[in-house]
Amino acid sequence: MALFLSINYGRTGTFIFRNRDCLKLCTLNYHGLRVSLPSRFVSIFGTSRTSNWTKAVSDAEKLVGYPTSFMSLRCLLSDELSNVAIHIRKLLGTRHPLLKTARGFLDNGKQSLQTRGLVVLLISKAAGPSPNPSGICKDQDMISGIYPSQRSLAEITEMIHTASLIHKGVVNLEDIQPGDGSRKDMEFGNKLAVLSGDFLLASSCTALAKLNNTKVVEIMSKAIGNLMEAEFTALKNRSGNPVLPRNVKFSDWSEQTFLSSGCLLAEGCRAAMELANHSELVKDAAFTFGKNMALAQQMADDIGPFLDPNQGCTNISITSGPIIRHVESHPNDIDDKLFNSSEGIEPKQILKLVKSGSAIQECAKLCLEYGQRAIHSLDRFSDSDAKTALINIIRAATNEQRGVR
Amino acid sequence: MAAVGRIRSRLHTQLLQIYKISEGLQINLVLKARLHNQRKLMVRLCGYLNYNEQVHKCINNAFSLAFRCCRCVSAGSVREPQMSVHQQVDPYKLVGAELANLCVEIKQEVVTSKHELGEIAEYYFDGKGKCFRPMLIMLASKALNFHKTEEERLLDSQRRVAMIAEMIHTASLIHDDVIDESCIRRGKSSVNNIWKERKAILAGNYLLSVASMALARIGNKDVVQVLSQTIEDLVRGEFMQLGSKEDENERFKHYLTKTFKKTASLMANSCKAIAVLGELDEDLIGVAYEYGRNIGLSFQLVDDILDFTSCDTLMGKPTAADLRLGLATAPVLFASQEFPELHSMIMRRFMQDGDVERARELVAKSDGVSHARMMAEQHCKEAVRLLQTLKLSDSRRALEHIAYLVLNRQK
Repeated sequence: MALFLSINYGRTGTFIFRNRDCLKLCTLNYHGLRVSLPSRFVSIFGTSRTSNWTKAVSDAEKLVGYPTSFMSLRCLLSDELSNVAIHIRKLLGTRHPLLKTARGFLDNGKQSLQTRGLVVLLISKAAGPSPNPSGICKDQDMISGIYPSQRSLAEITEMIHTASLIHKGVVNLEDIQPGDGSRKDMEFGNKLAVLSGDFLLASSCTALAKLNNTKVVEIMSKAIGNLMEAEFTALKNRSGNPVLPRNVKFSDWSEQTFLSSGCLLAEGCRAAMELANHSELVKDAAFTFGKNMALAQQMADDIGPFLDPNQGCTNISITSGPIIRHVESHPNDIDDKLFNSSEGIEPKQILKLVKSGSAIQECAKLCLEYGQRAIHSLDRFSDSDAKTALINIIRAATNEQRGVR
Repeated sequence: MAAVGRIRSRLHTQLLQIYKISEGLQINLVLKARLHNQRKLMVRLCGYLNYNEQVHKCINNAFSLAFRCCRCVSAGSVREPQMSVHQQVDPYKLVGAELANLCVEIKQEVVTSKHELGEIAEYYFDGKGKCFRPMLIMLASKALNFHKTEEERLLDSQRRVAMIAEMIHTASLIHDDVIDESCIRRGKSSVNNIWKERKAILAGNYLLSVASMALARIGNKDVVQVLSQTIEDLVRGEFMQLGSKEDENERFKHYLTKTFKKTASLMANSCKAIAVLGELDEDLIGVAYEYGRNIGLSFQLVDDILDFTSCDTLMGKPTAADLRLGLATAPVLFASQEFPELHSMIMRRFMQDGDVERARELVAKSDGVSHARMMAEQHCKEAVRLLQTLKLSDSRRALEHIAYLVLNRQK
């Protein structure tokens, strides 16, 4: 069970506190409105392996003027969510996923919640001022080369992501395991999860409406729909745990990755271009960038455990790229035990199996390819600091196998 | 056993009497008071019989008849809704064709390559729902369009608003049922009961995203803003249900705001949206909004009343549900003025053993239900009054009839 929990949240990041002081530090900063300091937190826990990524992100943050608040402050400080924050304490001691997600707001380590928003801001800046400035995007309103509406959109992108993260943590009450917590606590956790997720979604709906661009509303709503579809694919069981279907194809992996993270980043980037009235070509380029960045990031995350001898075993997801790649080309390698997800998989066995083939190397190559495609899509943008920052982020994501999360 | 038999026969006599009263149209205020007393007695009698369905249905029919007569007579300064037979227009018939298509259209919208998700998303659109909101919105569109162009037609964009409103409403029902853990909805097993909590929530979100896409495709920024507001209101309303207020006056205000946000906002803002799309002027947009708001408030008040007076099978969902969820609705709030012991029960959200039963008993003894009913009537009257600004058309008559239907619905 524990193995599966960690696999489950592997995709979205595992959040661990090293000591209590860090928690205090985070909370203090959060209440002092210095909301987004993931890079600093990483340097607290940091390992040398992550330094490239950290540097790329923190350099990029400086470019966009002020860091993206990782959720709209208006939202976080609303009566509704402060209430939830108080209630969440009641969940301490249970294994309700909401608790993990909530901790993630404070210490979100590597898979920073705000990368999405940061990328939207960077690409807005890289694309430059609108070719046809209209009523809502006037050049004099730009701050650090970004329109206020685009900043709003960056926040909305974060809010949508967080909402879906929270809702994915709703627990099926009949599947509660003895160690999870009492049924009553889990019910309460669900209630809080549903309400706070709904609140974030509703807030993003109204925030989107205020952008006064129906095309953008349509694009972002589509992304929300895709995020939900991601939970109904053949690679997910009803509790959201990964399952490996027979005759799985590598295209299933790409589809899953696109639906569960690519769409939001890609559509977010496209919507940012839409807001500034950029041309169709620029919009498509932004979309391609977001999509490939998500694919590259996910693949890098998936390969990581296979290359790291120390902690690889426990972090392997059964639907990670290398495994699916291997199964696709060696369908006979996999015996029935592997498909019985309730039994769990024997990580060492899997590791050995996959390492015997060439799947890991192929995936590493693919990862670089995705990165290249993302970088290539930026050719349409003229050179700028923002463009360089985006390229650095992609390089950092693909060159190193980001281990500790 | 003998005791039950006695109560039953007494109930029967009472019923006959009520029918007699309602038939003799000479009802005056004295009779109305008597009617109220009898009602109280009957509700208590029903209590002994564990709310036998059949009996209950009978009583409800009898009372709605009797109250209808009362209303016709007790008209004061406020103009009565015109309910005479020759003016009645069946609202469902007037937009029947459009409504029949509604579910088909929604199913086309929610199409997805993920089979199970599609199944959940269209589960409630089986054509058996009341479709009250779409009906209201379509009729309001026709009435407003007639007022402006003398032509009772329905714009395509307005028809889409009706569809979107039903989708938003359904999405919120799916989420509410997870929060309240209810197993039955619209007379069938609820989504969370079949597909379990997690998928229910995610599918609800999906439905909302589809609605939001359809909304964006209408292409009107103002309409997007107006309807997005309702989504926020729905959630804020749900949050308001979590807490109760210490102060008595504040509590009622809290209840009314919650009622607006949870029910009336969708109707009010959809009516506003179709008025915007019909390009009516500010005043009439305001009339449309207010009509929707009043109908919505009344609708919810009646819903809260039915939670006390109706039975499970008739409603298609469990009754006495509000109390069990710890919610104090209008009948309880009014009753607490008569029986102060309800205050502490409200504050502890009817959590102690026996609270729910005791509260039901006290509400039955009090004038809570009839007060709440009066409030609902007031809102319906206001809705009908607002309609008089519009030129007379079949649709306007149907809208007036809706006010009547809202008050007299049994489910």
